[in-house]
Amino acid sequence: MKRKSFILALLAFAAVTVYAAPKEVTLLNVSYDPTRELYQEYNAVFAKYWQGKAGQKVTVQQSHGGSGKQSRSVIDGLSADVVTLALAYDIDAIAEKSKLLPADWQKRLPNNSAPYTSTIVFLVRKGNPKGIKDWADLVKPGVAIIPANPKTSGAARWTYLAAWAYALDKNNGDQAKAKEFVTKFYRNVPVLDSGARGATTTFIQRGIGDVLVGWENEAILGVKELGKDQVEIITPPFSILAEPPVTVVDKVARKKGNEAVAKAYVEHLYSEEGQELVAKHFYRPRNEAVAKKHAQQFPALKLITIDEVFGGWQKAQKTHFADGGVFDEIQKANK
Amino acid sequence: MNNNVKLNRWMVIAALLSAQTGYVLAQDQNGELQRLKQQLQDLEQKVRILERNKELETEASDAKAKTIPLVTLGAGGLNVSTADTNFLLKIRGYVQADSRAFVGNDEAVKGNDTFLLRRVRPIFEGVVARNFEYRLMFDFASGVTSATGNNGFLQDGYVNVHYWDEAQLQLGKMKEPVGLERLQSGANLLFIERGLPTYLVPNRDVGIQLHGKLWGNTLGYQIGYFNGVEDGGSADIETSDDGKDAAARLFLQPFDRTQIDPLKKLGVGIAVTHGSHEGALRNYGTAGQQTWFRWRTGTGATPSTANVLADGDTDRFAPQAYYYWGPFGIFGEYVISSHDVIRRPEVAPGSSRRASFDNRAWQIAGSYFITGEENSFGPVTPKRPFALGGGGWGAWEIAARIGQLEVDDDVFVDTDGVLGPDFATTASARKVRAWGVGLNWHLNRNVKASVNYLNTDFKGGSTAKGEVTAQDEDVILARVQLSF
Repeated sequence: MKRKSFILALLAFAAVTVYAAPKEVTLLNVSYDPTRELYQEYNAVFAKYWQGKAGQKVTVQQSHGGSGKQSRSVIDGLSADVVTLALAYDIDAIAEKSKLLPADWQKRLPNNSAPYTSTIVFLVRKGNPKGIKDWADLVKPGVAIIPANPKTSGAARWTYLAAWAYALDKNNGDQAKAKEFVTKFYRNVPVLDSGARGATTTFIQRGIGDVLVGWENEAILGVKELGKDQVEIITPPFSILAEPPVTVVDKVARKKGNEAVAKAYVEHLYSEEGQELVAKHFYRPRNEAVAKKHAQQFPALKLITIDEVFGGWQKAQKTHFADGGVFDEIQKANK
Repeated sequence: MNNNVKLNRWMVIAALLSAQTGYVLAQDQNGELQRLKQQLQDLEQKVRILERNKELETEASDAKAKTIPLVTLGAGGLNVSTADTNFLLKIRGYVQADSRAFVGNDEAVKGNDTFLLRRVRPIFEGVVARNFEYRLMFDFASGVTSATGNNGFLQDGYVNVHYWDEAQLQLGKMKEPVGLERLQSGANLLFIERGLPTYLVPNRDVGIQLHGKLWGNTLGYQIGYFNGVEDGGSADIETSDDGKDAAARLFLQPFDRTQIDPLKKLGVGIAVTHGSHEGALRNYGTAGQQTWFRWRTGTGATPSTANVLADGDTDRFAPQAYYYWGPFGIFGEYVISSHDVIRRPEVAPGSSRRASFDNRAWQIAGSYFITGEENSFGPVTPKRPFALGGGGWGAWEIAARIGQLEVDDDVFVDTDGVLGPDFATTASARKVRAWGVGLNWHLNRNVKASVNYLNTDFKGGSTAKGEVTAQDEDVILARVQLSF
């Protein structure tokens, strides 16, 4: 009888152990357009880190697209363990519509859950033939601007808001003049891609337009790819502080038994190792030491935040990007 | 000298003028070239912009197409599906409007000539979440009513979990996998009424079934566990016992994946069931739907009101086969149905109440498309659908069948020699033989008209005037069927 009980206990223990710590796990990171290369490298680094820490093999799958589109995919059922999107509003939408994570998700990690920042800069053709130095130069007649579509792209929404904030700054907070400025801005847009990576393709590979307006990291990547003899970066003296946030999609990760590894995945982005990778892929690190080390890569400029100018993402989204919002009005006026 | 100086001056002036003119011309040409170059660059930009916008429009429309539900309406019914086909709804159905005309003296023949709606069946089937199929089929035909224990109103109602063709799991109300002709859709029957073996196999039952096809259609199998129903029965719920039916069927089409065309549609199979049952037994009928065999029913209080019920094991064994080649087709099946029954009260005080009977039936049916269509167990598509004022005449099919059902002799043992057979009514026949011929006109994929002449010959049973078994049943059945 004792022997039988012992064997049963052993079996139960083995079953619990096997259940509690599966040998391999697979995470899905649903991210926005230009983070492919960053997460490709980070995934390998994290897998090594997690193997050492938890003794568990982890494979991270990636999905990329326009931030807004990715958010909708998760709401529609894409089983993301973590989301690393371009702006907080897109994660708010997941929390609100699918209840897969708490509404206060942004408080769970430091720096509003944004382990890296970026900003909006200009990429122009070699020699800057149109003489573009600041936002005002973009609305001049004959300048062709290539941004993405704010309806679907996170970078494009940051771009739109940066242009709006610039106009407000130059016109003593006059909203009408800001709208007029942004209307002119989009009048100079010949092609509106759905995502930041698409806009980069339009500008670099298709050779369309005089200036690509978008993520700083995409601009640096463009220079690396094409060479300094083809394009150059213009960092305007004024832009917006973009904070792409990351978080665990609690219910999905819990259901898949990935809660711990998913949490570690987003937290490790704040580690020195994670921050170095962030800088390597041209995102501005949060870690001061790492940021200082790479300071020459990121010129200083005046950066405003969405909270101080627009009252946060919820308000900005509702006013500018919701159906029938200001962006729709601008597009209608430019037709 | 002066002349020479003058000449030189003129030459210098001419040269200067010429150079000036050349310079101006060159300047003009350069400017023109620059303008042309700029125009070319502008045009090139415009072309690139147009191309890119077109590319983006295509991407956007492709992405949109992936989200637009697809709706089709045609011979196969109304189909609505998501673009990725993960969700699908098919609305189909069929209606059969029949007439029955009994041949012979009206006074002698019990059956009544009638028009009737034999089947009126809307079908809703489809897929949810890619791998979960469903089917709901109702019947609103003549005489179909909703009842708790034996519900003909809901014919099919099941979910089929379909991740692999080779192994699928079906749960709900469905046909038990036994009789070959029973498993054929009511819309694809060769004759207006199914043959005699169908009386000895279960109809629809509630349970769970693992099924699949291996190597294409080479081997089909079904293994199920059901509430269990009596021969020919159909039920939604088990109300009489805890016994269940296990059913298994294998059907082999050995040449399905070969190049031997004449043998590709040769199929042989076998089905078995085993279960334990209590409760009422069903009677047996003719093609004209007249009852020629009845188990004894009564209060069970006295020998004259004896009651016979299933009580114990029920086993069925059903070998079956079909063969189709070009316009020719033939199928056949044999069924042995074994029942343990109980009679209340016993035949004589102290005698056994229990008995076990083996009833047997078989049939062979064949058909030929005189218009040359490909014959099959499933639906038929006419080569030239019927169209008034030209076109084709549809598909014409002639059919014949023969069959027999024989009740176990022991059912008719008459122990007391007074009250008739111990287990069956006095008027019941022991055996029937049936033959029939038919003509099917498939106007198109959706409309079929049929006429059958069917004879049933009874052995045993009452010869009293007006009784079903008193003379052969000769009946002309006609049907117009619309299915989609």
